[in-house]
Amino acid sequence: GDNRTAAKTSSDLIAYRNANDLPPPREMMIQVDQKNEAILLPIYGSMVPFHVATVKTVSSQQDTNRNCYIRIIFNVPGTPFNPHDANSLKHQGAIYLKEVSFRSKDPRHISEVVQQIKTLRRNVVARESERAERAT
Amino acid sequence: MEDGHLFNNISLGGRGGTNPGQLRVHSGGILWKKQGGGKAVEVDKADVMDLTWMKVPRTNQLGVRTKDGLYYKFTGFRDQDVGSLTTFFQNTCGLIPKEKQLSVSGKNWGEVDLNGNMLSFLVGSKQAFEVSLADVAQTQLQGKNDVILEFHVDDTTGANEKDSLMEISFHIPNSNTQFVGDENHP
Repeated sequence: GDNRTAAKTSSDLIAYRNANDLPPPREMMIQVDQKNEAILLPIYGSMVPFHVATVKTVSSQQDTNRNCYIRIIFNVPGTPFNPHDANSLKHQGAIYLKEVSFRSKDPRHISEVVQQIKTLRRNVVARESERAERAT
Repeated sequence: MEDGHLFNNISLGGRGGTNPGQLRVHSGGILWKKQGGGKAVEVDKADVMDLTWMKVPRTNQLGVRTKDGLYYKFTGFRDQDVGSLTTFFQNTCGLIPKEKQLSVSGKNWGEVDLNGNMLSFLVGSKQAFEVSLADVAQTQLQGKNDVILEFHVDDTTGANEKDSLMEISFHIPNSNTQFVGDENHP
């Protein structure tokens, strides 16, 4: 049966178990926590964690007024590259955070963050697919 | 504690990040003053509609909702403050603060809860984050399943965060029957 292939899927990954496990509060800005494979987003005065495995793409862009923007798109079910699987069916009735975009005062910080998220995401996805393969 | 408690290092959180300040809780209500002057928040006890406590990283957060629909989040209370303030609120306002839990699991799926003009994203019935719909400049429906909230660009009120939220979108799969239609999103 299918139960044999109960490999850990990306949606089982947990960023933090406890609120006090989050990194110490710093400036209100996007952070990447390599150890816990999480990104932290400043939303209404709180640092909100997301596991990097929930991220689909990240990009940045600069406008003529030297404003810098970062856009993070999360995985949601039912898109061509992410069809409904056992997991999304398990979460029927759920609402997904699909996308966030931030304006930043610091373009260098944003390009760093984009690179860090991309690298971390790649490593985690590679590790998880390897693990899934071994499990079959 | 005849007439109240004074707490230093209590920050007020909101759209522009957080501002440090001082909070006084007294028999007439709540008064918060920004460090170095400027902004102050005063809530008369008669205007308090409900109170919440939430454990946040390394400290505690008090949520104060007023009858006018305003909502303030004060962060920086020690564990022992929670107990003494809970008793104080009970005696002065006749209100028992409710306990909320924070989600730190890092998942991007959950539920959306609307209360007054606050939109909360809940994961496993714990709160992951909340935003105020009062700050939303416009909402858009993209396709059949996505709702986009665009926030006002706030250059004036001394935002002290480096990165500011501009836009957020939610995906509501067809299998979700809770949010058919769009009457919940002004």
